[in-house]
Amino acid sequence: MNGRDSSVPIEDAPRSVSEPFSARVGPDAPEGAGLPVAYMQRTRAYYLALGYDNPYRWSHYRDVPFAALRKPLAESSVALVTTAAPYRPELGDQGPGAAYNGAAKFFEVYSAPAGPEAPPDVRISHVSYDRTHTTAKDPRTWFPLERLHEAQGARRIGRVAPRFHGLPTNRSQRTTLDQDCPALLRRVHEDEADAAILVAN
Amino acid sequence: MCHQSVSLAARYLEEHGIATAVLGCARDIVEHCGVPRFVFSDFPLGNAAGRPFDEDSQRLTLDLALGLLESARTPRTTVQSPLAWSEDPGWKADFCDLSRIPRSEVAARRSDFEAQKERAREVSR
Repeated sequence: MNGRDSSVPIEDAPRSVSEPFSARVGPDAPEGAGLPVAYMQRTRAYYLALGYDNPYRWSHYRDVPFAALRKPLAESSVALVTTAAPYRPELGDQGPGAAYNGAAKFFEVYSAPAGPEAPPDVRISHVSYDRTHTTAKDPRTWFPLERLHEAQGARRIGRVAPRFHGLPTNRSQRTTLDQDCPALLRRVHEDEADAAILVAN
Repeated sequence: MCHQSVSLAARYLEEHGIATAVLGCARDIVEHCGVPRFVFSDFPLGNAAGRPFDEDSQRLTLDLALGLLESARTPRTTVQSPLAWSEDPGWKADFCDLSRIPRSEVAARRSDFEAQKERAREVSR
C-alpha cells in the first residue's frame, strides 16, 4: 500500500519530522498550549448555535472492562477496526479536502480483506475530522494497515487478522451497543483475532 | 461520534475477551466513556494513527498501541504520544469555532444534521 492519493504531488507533502514538542514551552508557552481540545464542550456550544437546546449526552461509564492478552503479542492475531468508509465514486466527493459528505456514511458493520497485496481505499469524508488543519491526503494517518503489516514482518505481532472491520459512527449509543458491537465481535471471532486496534477519526 | 463509537466497541470487545487499544485525538470523549487502553495523539481529528507523510510518526503511534497491549495491567491506561502537531498550538482554537461559520450556513448545517438523524433512525428500527 503506498498510502498516497495519486492526485497529490509528492512535493506538496508536508515535510514533517518526528520530534518531541520543544518550542514555545516553559514560562513563555501560550495559555492552554499543552491542554487537549475540549471536544465535548465545543460540540455542545456548536449544536446550541444550530438551535438545539438539548445537549447530547456523551457515553460515560464508571467501570471499565479489561481483557489481558491471552498469549504473547508476537503470537497474537491483531484486527484493525476503522470508522473510515470504503470509497464509492457514485457518492460524490470523498477525496482530500472534500466537504463533509453525509452520503458516504455507512450504517452497518462491514469487513474487507486486510492483506498487503490489495490495499483498501477507505476515506473519512463522512466524519467531522479537522478540515482546517489537515487535508486527509495520507490515509495512513487514519488507517494504519501498512504499519500493522510492518509489525507482522518484524514479528512484533503474530499476524494481521485476515479482515479489517468498518464500524459505523452512530449518534445512537443504543444502536452502537445493540447492533454494531455484536456484529463487530462476531466478525472478530470468525477471524480468530486475539486483539484489536481501533482507530477513531 | 467516531471516538465514542470506537470507545463503546473497545469496551464491548474487552467484555468478550478481546484485548484492545484505541488510537484517538479526542482525549475527553474517550476517557469520559472509559476504555481499557488508549493512545492519545494531541493532533487535529483525522490523524489518530500519526502525522501525514511521516512514517516515523505513524510507526511510533502504532508501536505505542502494541506496547499497551503488552504492558497495561489495569483499565483506563492512557499513553500520550510525545509528538506535537506543530510548534504553534493555535490549531486547537479552531475546532467548531462558531465565528467561522457564516450565518447563512447555519440552516444548511441544521438541515443536513436532521437528515443524518433520520437516516440513523431508519437503521435502528
